[in-house]
Amino acid sequence: MKPLSHFLLAALLSFCALQGCSRAAASTDKALELTFWNGFSGPDGKAMEGIVKSFNREHPGIHVKMQIIPWGTYYDKLTLGLAFGGAPDVFILHEARVAEYADHGALSPIDSMDGLDPKDFAPSVLQVGLWKGRRYGIPLDCHPLGMYYNVDLFRQAGIGHPPTNLAEFVDDAKKLTKPGQWGFAMTDIHLVGSTFLYQFGANLLSPDFRRSTLDSPQATEAVDTLLSFSDTYKISPPPQGNDAWMGFQMGKIGMVFQGTWMIDSLDHQKGLNYAAAPVPTFGPVKTVWAGSHTLCMPATLSAERRMAAWQFITYLSDHSLDWAKGGQVPVRLSILDSPEFDKLRIMREFAKELPYIHYEPFAVTANQVAPFADTAIDASLNHIDEPEAELRDASRRIDNVLRRQ
Amino acid sequence: MRGRKETIGAWLFLAPFLTLFVLFVLSPVFYGFWISLHNWHILSKNAIFVGLRNYSSAINDDLFRISLVRTGYFMLMVVPAGNILSLLLAIGLNQKYRATTLYKICFYTPVLLSVTVVALVWRWMYSHDYGLINHYFHTDVRWLEDPKSAMPALALMSIWWGAGGNMLIYLAGLKSVPKEIHEAAELDGARPWQRFWYTTWPWIRPITLFCFVISLIGASQVFGQSYILTQGNPAYSTLTVILYMYQQGFGQYQLGYASAVAYLLFLCVFTLTLIQFKLLAPRATK
Repeated sequence: MKPLSHFLLAALLSFCALQGCSRAAASTDKALELTFWNGFSGPDGKAMEGIVKSFNREHPGIHVKMQIIPWGTYYDKLTLGLAFGGAPDVFILHEARVAEYADHGALSPIDSMDGLDPKDFAPSVLQVGLWKGRRYGIPLDCHPLGMYYNVDLFRQAGIGHPPTNLAEFVDDAKKLTKPGQWGFAMTDIHLVGSTFLYQFGANLLSPDFRRSTLDSPQATEAVDTLLSFSDTYKISPPPQGNDAWMGFQMGKIGMVFQGTWMIDSLDHQKGLNYAAAPVPTFGPVKTVWAGSHTLCMPATLSAERRMAAWQFITYLSDHSLDWAKGGQVPVRLSILDSPEFDKLRIMREFAKELPYIHYEPFAVTANQVAPFADTAIDASLNHIDEPEAELRDASRRIDNVLRRQ
Repeated sequence: MRGRKETIGAWLFLAPFLTLFVLFVLSPVFYGFWISLHNWHILSKNAIFVGLRNYSSAINDDLFRISLVRTGYFMLMVVPAGNILSLLLAIGLNQKYRATTLYKICFYTPVLLSVTVVALVWRWMYSHDYGLINHYFHTDVRWLEDPKSAMPALALMSIWWGAGGNMLIYLAGLKSVPKEIHEAAELDGARPWQRFWYTTWPWIRPITLFCFVISLIGASQVFGQSYILTQGNPAYSTLTVILYMYQQGFGQYQLGYASAVAYLLFLCVFTLTLIQFKLLAPRATK
């Protein structure tokens, strides 16, 4: 009996020792693990993954674990995490949603931009991440609406340079339109519709965010102009969603307006010779819709984790040239002016718009009021009702939502 | 003494169900009502008590009223047509011929599919340029883009999707009709239609009530179809109450308002169900 119990004891002890040993080994190379959430489920995700990998290589004390959640369900998961626990240490918010999350105290304020020079940011994007004068997020990039055009179709029609205003646009589009081919097609009601509203001096909300201004004559004029492309000038098919984009890829549409995220799929399209240019100015205001991915941290971070998270955020901002190659336009002037960035022939054209971009209202209610204009514009373009009546209804409904707050 | 023991035993047997029921059904129901009395953003730390204001705003919100009307329209299309189709299928399958099981399987298979699968398949069928429906019927309808046809399109899809479920219940009901009654009616010279109306129909009346109530409640909660295919568009023509509640609660995180919408829908469905019971049930028990 005795030898057996000794043996067991020895076995037990050595087992404990081994356990302790392995634990000790683990703790020496145990890095602080940070979670980073975003919705980059396209080719931009691959670019981001590369940056995260190089960060982890260069920072042995920190290990960033990135989780990509498609945008469709991203905000549900993020908001639940922020409300009930389980939020990531660093996450992306679209610029128009920062106000909502900051207003409810979910974001960690960034009172010192230690390691980042505000003067190196494009001035037009510095407003991103601010709420009531305090900073809650760092803009990683900017994605303005841009124009893609088919170079071969332009050449066949004898068009020398991409249009810059309404008259040139209609003129060129007429030359590009023939049976089975359209000069222009609407690919995204929200982005194109917003751009037209802004260019005609209209907006969803009044500057104090207390009432809707969609019932303004400027808004009607904007939608009327958009409608004239299919009705008066017959240079565009009626709205057809994704089919319009397919048409451009197949070389059956001369010009479309879309974001930078389409570059990758266009580059993979065989036989498509395309180029990009700033969106023409259709109305009295030279501007264009834009969005920005904003880097944020939750309010609940401990001091130690927050320091590591900030280190990661500055790294991402410093390395946004790599981000530009797979994702969106960088907002750091030193990168925008670099010869490497100048080599990105499409991205470079989008970047030209940076000085005059227009963001969606930085209102707490931004997400609640955003869909109303889209429905009104969609209904107008589909001839369900007159633009003026549709916009008046949308405006009244937005006021309803604002009154409920 | 024995009575009390039996009572304790009964409670013990009920306990597992009751625990789950109270935890996951009853308390959320009351908690939901509590939420509906607040201005409750999902992130807010202190929700503001607003009494019945969410209810009055919902009643004054034309989109909520539109969603009620659109849901009612959907129910009107789906419940009677769906039940009639199920009953016809069941009557057809209750005849004596070969391969009825094969037909049963065919009609029932759609029920097994999730709404996502059904919606994605039908999206292709409804596609304006590439869809089977426009192709075979030589029509030029923008099914899901035209506000006039969008809701009927969703209803048609839902009828196809759900008909097999009620069909099985009706079939079970038809099989339970005693053969003697049929034979007696046949001997008395009743025509097929009379045989159905005077012998079969009284027998399956309670089943009809059951199927109607269940499909009415199901149709009032229609969500997945419009969520996947149209998101309430075009021009709010497919905005159903549950979709509106979802958009308010999980799109915009207005939990108080969404709960009020849910309670108002509950009131409507509850009233409708009561009316149906009053209309159909008493005569069935005679």
